[in-house]
Amino acid sequence: MRRRRFGPSVLMVSALLVAPLQTTSYAAVIGTEQYLGALEREQALERIDAVLAREAVRERLTQLGVDPADALARAAALSDAELLALAENLEELPAGGDLLGVIGIVFVVLLILELVGVTNVFNKI
Amino acid sequence: MQALAAFRDARISRALRLAVAVAALAVAGCAGTPRFDGTSLPAVELDDVPFFPQTDYQCGPAALATILAHEGLPVDADALVPAVYIEGLRGSLQAELLAATRRHGLVPYRLRPDPDALLAEVSSGKPVLVLQNLGLDRFPVWHYAVVVGFDPSRGDVLLRSGTERRRRERVSRFLRSWARAGYWAFVAAAPDEPPVTADADGWIRAVTDAAHVLAPSSADAALRAATSRWPTAPIVMYASAVRLGEAGRWQDAARAYAALLESDPGNAAARNNLANMLAEGGCFDEALRQARAALASVRADSPLRPAIEDTVATLLRRSDGAAVEPDSCASFP
Repeated sequence: MRRRRFGPSVLMVSALLVAPLQTTSYAAVIGTEQYLGALEREQALERIDAVLAREAVRERLTQLGVDPADALARAAALSDAELLALAENLEELPAGGDLLGVIGIVFVVLLILELVGVTNVFNKI
Repeated sequence: MQALAAFRDARISRALRLAVAVAALAVAGCAGTPRFDGTSLPAVELDDVPFFPQTDYQCGPAALATILAHEGLPVDADALVPAVYIEGLRGSLQAELLAATRRHGLVPYRLRPDPDALLAEVSSGKPVLVLQNLGLDRFPVWHYAVVVGFDPSRGDVLLRSGTERRRRERVSRFLRSWARAGYWAFVAAAPDEPPVTADADGWIRAVTDAAHVLAPSSADAALRAATSRWPTAPIVMYASAVRLGEAGRWQDAARAYAALLESDPGNAAARNNLANMLAEGGCFDEALRQARAALASVRADSPLRPAIEDTVATLLRRSDGAAVEPDSCASFP
């Protein structure tokens, strides 16, 4: 199991409070999500990892300007696999925004490429 | 004809094309599902797809509002900003678009990374939300848009994009920008209507990912739809059996696992769960037998092993001094 970049136990306790674990009267049934995880990754997705990831993602979203209550609801709607991906490298993932963020040298490079027809950023304007 | 060249140029591996051809044969019964057959784009335009012009960096909320409103939900781009926009990134993450779709009671279904799937979905009446990289691999400019049609006469893809209600992009350019974003695309499906390009594994995955957010009745409807479309798919049988168990219907669940094991006797997860269902019905002897068989069939490093060991241990504790087995146990395999 790869170690994640998050995980003080304080976080864990608070995460357990906000993320209800699945409750069934029989503990050892392999649920569909766990089964799919086993099929896909050859490695069980430990429930605790997902709980930690949910807390890490919620916290990161808040730091990035998302309202804390929204961040909680948003993190709650992500699947376990998505949570782990976001907890690991949220900043490096594509964040669809638009061309307004393109500045400086990148702008010049893109402009040239646009003119020679490689990209299609500027015909949006 | 440029459209043709563009599709040929699209970097789709031979294997993928073969897979698509096989899939096409498999769903041949679904008449009226147009596919890109190497000769033409379909002429289709979904005029009634609403449009929400984006503001600032908010193409994510705008594109998402487009496909959700098309499904009849009373949303607009502004209302979705708190659900998917991240000020600090000046954008929206792919996973969050999927998550927000779930929160609105729909199942986000990721398309196969393949132009054929895009054509088939749009032709079936579904607007498709796509991620494009309008820049370069090294200098990405990520953008969400919604594909609403194709114009074969000019070789154009038609999109709701940014501030343009009906944006035209040459097929070749569109495909390059989409390929640079890994051909990422999804549709918002009603729980009881798997998309035309869905397969059993993909649908169960999508439904499972949404299950903790959807209303239980929606999750049930999604499984019923799966059972009616792919009645013999092992993953559908598995997920349905799990659901029966969760609903407390032990006997029905046990029968469902038994049926799955008939066609897939090596399915250790199903056998483990069968053991748990039998135990719920008081059939500890047979449960223990099944649990041990499941344990014997998995490798030492199987991720399923801890759960199965847990089942065996629990059963050993519970069967100590257990009373006589109920008569109903005899009816189980």
